[in-house]
Amino acid sequence: MSQTMMVLASAHGGPLFSIGGLEVSSITTTTWGIMALLVLVCFLATRDLQIVPVRKSQIALELAVDTLITFLGSIMGGEEKAKKFFPLLGSLFFIILISNYSGLLPGFGHTPGLQAPTSALSFTAALALVVFFTTHIQGVKSKGLAYFKHFVSPHWAMLPMNLMEELVKPLSLALRLYGNIFGEETLVASIFAMAPLFVPLPFMFLGVFFGFIQALVFTLLTATYLASATAGEH
Amino acid sequence: MTNDAFFALGAALAIGLATFGPGIGQGLAAGRAFEAIARQPEATGDIRTLLILALAFMEALCIFGLLIAFLLFGKIS
Repeated sequence: MSQTMMVLASAHGGPLFSIGGLEVSSITTTTWGIMALLVLVCFLATRDLQIVPVRKSQIALELAVDTLITFLGSIMGGEEKAKKFFPLLGSLFFIILISNYSGLLPGFGHTPGLQAPTSALSFTAALALVVFFTTHIQGVKSKGLAYFKHFVSPHWAMLPMNLMEELVKPLSLALRLYGNIFGEETLVASIFAMAPLFVPLPFMFLGVFFGFIQALVFTLLTATYLASATAGEH
Repeated sequence: MTNDAFFALGAALAIGLATFGPGIGQGLAAGRAFEAIARQPEATGDIRTLLILALAFMEALCIFGLLIAFLLFGKIS
């Protein structure tokens, strides 16, 4: 069991090489790979766009984007809001989804250079920081400085609790995603160390299911926070 | 007892006790969701979304306990 933990620890922490003084670890190289994959897929699907799409890639991409916008629109109370924030929400959803699934591919986790990005706290904390700053900046943009009034409403004594809540939100986002993916990876690794043939399969199915759910929940919560921060009328 | 024993005990208790609250909470939430869907089947989509969201919130609490268990487990020399 501790062998497994040591393998995971070495793949997690160790830097591979340095670029200009910054250490590059396995999660960074995998993130580059995922970025390249997403850019490539979107580039290939959006060449020569047509009003009535004929190429299957354009139809598939339109279906994915449309479903996500409709779903988020029902949460945010209006499709225009979902479309306005879709660059952030859509990117979050797709990168978290692909990162979660990349941990299931063979070789990820114990090969240097290949590791699911969301199984490291640094990556999920970075995403949560992006969400944190986006919500507050968008809130100030849409409501002006009156945005800060909601910290002292309904009573000024609620200020510490409201501040604590605002700090806990990105923390819980980061920890939820990290814990789910890292926990699933460790679980599969330890089951694999005990019974390598066919027995890890149910856990990997759970990993597929929970990977999608966690990507959806992260995006849903970001959408909820954005909608409540930019709510027009209270 | 040695330090390692305390780490191991702490790890086991962390994850063991962390599953109580979310287990009960998720069971209650799912039960109410089933009732709501049975009462009004046309609201199934909305109820399903809210149920998944609520379950993820509660699951996160259990995951925090699991993370502490991992941290303590990693400290065993």
